[in-house]
Amino acid sequence: MTRQLYFTALFFLIHVAVFSQTGISGKVLDEKNRPLPGVNIFIKGSYDGATSGEDGTFEFDTDAAGTQTLVYQLMGFKSQEFTIACDFSPIVFRDVSLREMITEMNAVTISAGAMQASDASKAVVLKPLDIVTTPSAMGDIIGAFQTLPGTSTVGNDGRLFVRGGDASEVGIYIDGLRVGNAYGSTAGNFPTRTRFNPNLFKGTFFSTGGYSAEYGQALSSALALNSKDISPRSQGDLSLLSLGGGYSHTLSSDKQSITVTGNIFDLGPYQELVKQNIDWERGPHSWDLEMASQKKLADGGLLKVMARTEAGGMKMWQKLPGVEGRGVFIDLDNRYTFAQTNWKKAYENGWTIFTGISYSDNKDDIFYDSVNLQKRSKLLHAKFTGIKDFSDRISANSGIEYIQNGYKEAIIEAQVERDYEDHQFYGFTEWDFYLSKKLVFRSGLRAGHSSLNQETWLDPRASFAYQVSENGQISLAGGTFSQVPTENFRVLNPGLKNVKAKHLILNYLYGGNGRTLRAEAFYKSYDNLVTFDGLPMAPLDPINEGKGFAKGIDLFYRESRLVKNTDFWVTYSFVDSKRQFDQYSSKVQPSFAPKHNFSIVAKHGFESLQSQLGMSFSMNDGYAYTDPNQGEEMNSKTQSFQNLSLSWSYLPKPNLIIHFAVSNVLGRENVFGYQYAQTPNSSGVYESLPSGQAAPRFLLLGVFLTLSKDKTANNLNNL
Amino acid sequence: MLTLALLFMWITFAKASDPAYEKAMAKQIAAIETIQTLEQSQQVSNSFLRIAEAQPEEWLPLYYAGLLQIEAAFRFDVDQDEAFEQALGYIEKAKKIAPDNSELTALEGYAVMGKISVDPGSRGQSMTPQAMQLYNKAISLDRENPRAVLLMAQMELGMSQFFGSGPEKACGMARMGSELLRKEKEKITESYILPTWGQRLASQFEKVCQ
Repeated sequence: MTRQLYFTALFFLIHVAVFSQTGISGKVLDEKNRPLPGVNIFIKGSYDGATSGEDGTFEFDTDAAGTQTLVYQLMGFKSQEFTIACDFSPIVFRDVSLREMITEMNAVTISAGAMQASDASKAVVLKPLDIVTTPSAMGDIIGAFQTLPGTSTVGNDGRLFVRGGDASEVGIYIDGLRVGNAYGSTAGNFPTRTRFNPNLFKGTFFSTGGYSAEYGQALSSALALNSKDISPRSQGDLSLLSLGGGYSHTLSSDKQSITVTGNIFDLGPYQELVKQNIDWERGPHSWDLEMASQKKLADGGLLKVMARTEAGGMKMWQKLPGVEGRGVFIDLDNRYTFAQTNWKKAYENGWTIFTGISYSDNKDDIFYDSVNLQKRSKLLHAKFTGIKDFSDRISANSGIEYIQNGYKEAIIEAQVERDYEDHQFYGFTEWDFYLSKKLVFRSGLRAGHSSLNQETWLDPRASFAYQVSENGQISLAGGTFSQVPTENFRVLNPGLKNVKAKHLILNYLYGGNGRTLRAEAFYKSYDNLVTFDGLPMAPLDPINEGKGFAKGIDLFYRESRLVKNTDFWVTYSFVDSKRQFDQYSSKVQPSFAPKHNFSIVAKHGFESLQSQLGMSFSMNDGYAYTDPNQGEEMNSKTQSFQNLSLSWSYLPKPNLIIHFAVSNVLGRENVFGYQYAQTPNSSGVYESLPSGQAAPRFLLLGVFLTLSKDKTANNLNNL
Repeated sequence: MLTLALLFMWITFAKASDPAYEKAMAKQIAAIETIQTLEQSQQVSNSFLRIAEAQPEEWLPLYYAGLLQIEAAFRFDVDQDEAFEQALGYIEKAKKIAPDNSELTALEGYAVMGKISVDPGSRGQSMTPQAMQLYNKAISLDRENPRAVLLMAQMELGMSQFFGSGPEKACGMARMGSELLRKEKEKITESYILPTWGQRLASQFEKVCQ
């Protein structure tokens, strides 16, 4: 009897033990009510839980009793929690659907006008490495961008020209801060380069229109360069080029790094050896000193400082049309200083604060014949922005900015001196609304005020992007853009109003499987363009009477997997632009806006030779120019521009790179326009001289050696 | 000497104060070996995440969740970039619990190496130093960590192949790593839950380094 009782008790006890667990089952769905596998479902504070299967269902037992919290968790989805009562009876929980969080990784991005160069995986057209390995670029940032859609090559200028706009319409920024005189000063027909070394930047953002309200004072294009974060190691980099050389030293620790660089360049010896088209008295020469430092602060912020100072010059004889002899003597001396510092911190509560200040100071001292012209330009830009992520669907970027621009020019002999100082104030706000991860809408507003022309303006901008297929998306962007006229005009007429443009851009982007296809159609209108009397060298009475437009299409195709170890991209841009500007009394096709532009860049790696061979070919249908013998403005067109460049990079040792590049291998005599005599000769004809290339070819040989404890480090690591 | 031994035992006991945690961990660590499919990997990974949620003071469950993400990215058909980012997310969280931990630092290097492998052509140049730096740091934090040494050896091997130089340096490191792994094995008991993986990595070198 007792024995039986004992067994009965045991039986119950066993049952109690079995029933002291609560079975929980259920199903997880996504937003579209499809089963969601891989979700972690568990009782908070315990190890009990399960993972949903292919059909979205799950089932588990828990020892927990009483009121408990049931958690549904999956990376990339918004977690959900429910209160349940565990009383040892099975729970069949209702179906739960999880909403996917919109993140930078999975959301559509606005690609209208934009071309990003970074290591990030999405919407990238160019990688940082491409900038130095594009043969025609010769290591210049701008040179690489000239192979991208929407740009045109103007070989005797070197600057970036975007969609029928002149070079001043491209705003250049480092870490969001404006850079004044980003190009080196030059004279005659000798093309310029960007002052900044591509090694300084971890990524670039280049837009040919319809860009964010964050960028002001840029009518056609924004080029944003993002400086590097903390260097991973201490090293020394020695570079020896056929044109000069330099040394760079980096000291690095976990929390901070500093790089100091010095370079000396002199084209003189090279120009002695290789035949030049320009009659040099003293070839271009320069030195520069640069410092860049990054520091991780104790509070989690990142502080960056960059400073650069340089000096350079050149002396040449410029032949004049219809005049015998060497022509006029030009002597240019330049001094340039740039400094900037910025601080950025992301807070836990969704705010990201950025504050920074930049200062550029450029001084040109030019002798043209016997006339001494001195120009000095100063630009100070202070900026404070706050980005707030309200949720994964709404974020706002707002900021205030102050720009101080001072300009002074003097003609010493004539005792002419003029200057101005302008204080500009800006505010902007821009809101991103993700309606789903496939659809984003952005609207922004930028307001500005200039003390010099007493103008206050508002620029609204909007864009949206929609993902049409797994790898394809369309975007549309539009807005108004304002820019104060260039310094040489403002100093003559401080009352000049802003130059204005309206953009409308439709873009299709396909990216995936090592392939990028980008097609874009655009329309841009210009208002208040500056026109003047007299010659471009000496403008008189500038006024805002010009108007114009540019419309066209671009195509870009990049393929990196079709042929093993080969990467290539092809670009075609069609631009139809007419504008009344500068000295022109009617709407004309600008000389810097050829209609048809084509380029192809290809790189092939030879692993067994430890080499990379690069090829780039660019061509366009010729530049418009005015032949005064024929009457009308812009009545003629030069022959087609063509340039084939080759480069070869060799890595014999991990820390040594030898690079050799030749531009215009075929030696084509490209002409960018013609310079005409002011007055006709005795037979009534205006004589002319072609504005051509500085030399038929350009050769560059460089040896780059990296010294570091880690023997595998090389200069490419700087990219 | 005895006091030292007692102290050591006391530390071991103090650490082993939660048998339920140890048991749960040991069970999942054993389950790692049985993973054949993505689904199974997810199940084990989720179990580690549950333990991590319940024991917010422990870094190990997050470590294993991160390791599983990395291995899943190499083994199964998943969005690799997303998986490596997830792994880095877990590692970041674990580093807040245990800063300057050699195993976590080595694992971070492993995740970075994974990211490089997605697009070596363009990422290799900029991210290789980052991975190397992490391995260096992991080794300096614990000279006996076989995984840090073996992962670095793997990186060295990849670079020697790229530059066409010999694998001697990588092989030397791999030998060192294997030796450390052997030493580590002597410490392993049934309740040992710290990372012990690396054998497969070590055997990869056997062919190359003959």
